[in-house]
Amino acid sequence: MLAIDYGADGTVVIAGRLDAAQSPVAQSFLDRVDGIVTLDCADLEYVSSAGLGVLLKTQKRLQASSGKLRLVSVNRHLRDIFQYSGFDQIFEIEPAR
Amino acid sequence: MTEHRSFRRSFSSLAEIFAFTADFFARHGVDAGLLPTVDFTLEELFTNMVKYSPAGDVHVRIDMATAPGGVEVALTDYDVERFDVTQAPDANINLPLEQCRPGGLGLHLIRRLVDSMDYEYSSDERRSRITFRKTTAGRRDPGTVAAAGGGNARD
Repeated sequence: MLAIDYGADGTVVIAGRLDAAQSPVAQSFLDRVDGIVTLDCADLEYVSSAGLGVLLKTQKRLQASSGKLRLVSVNRHLRDIFQYSGFDQIFEIEPAR
Repeated sequence: MTEHRSFRRSFSSLAEIFAFTADFFARHGVDAGLLPTVDFTLEELFTNMVKYSPAGDVHVRIDMATAPGGVEVALTDYDVERFDVTQAPDANINLPLEQCRPGGLGLHLIRRLVDSMDYEYSSDERRSRITFRKTTAGRRDPGTVAAAGGGNARD
């Protein structure tokens, strides 16, 4: 399952598994954000290429209006996926501590 | 030790597939660090089968077997055309943002994440079988893999 919502500090918190079945949930939420958005991935366990598509679409839309999507607290598995896909050149990524 | 299950051709089967892999890993003591890559690879291959194969009611079979230091997994699809996933071109991951598209990333990624991947096709039975292996010995550092150009027809 996937959960996505605003956190107390205004970041967007995403948790669970961003797979092909759950991507529409994430896309629906991210279609409504604007500006510079921090996505807290501390509890995001998994992302597939369908999930990468959601992040890519959001980044394109935000950057077109001088915004961007920042990914923070990204775990090792997700960093590998982002690096292999070239997303580390497209997104500002902050690893998990 | 080999186990198999068949799954309905739907994205909604992903939760059942992930439950199957997690249960197999736990019961057979497979390194849990391999599970995200196995799930990722299964999802990419399974969703490709769902999207591109016309046979609506035929289930996809998944076999899982323990292997030294990991697992070997096979997906078998029935009544389908030949499509060798091992020969699909890489995605171009060096494009500027405005030219990037998500299509093609899936196969590009899984070929880098698993130890090996093989494709078999039976023309007589119109049966497609993809087998991949993931072990602790086969882990690679993403930074050591060179990016490649090209484009993909499939995810």
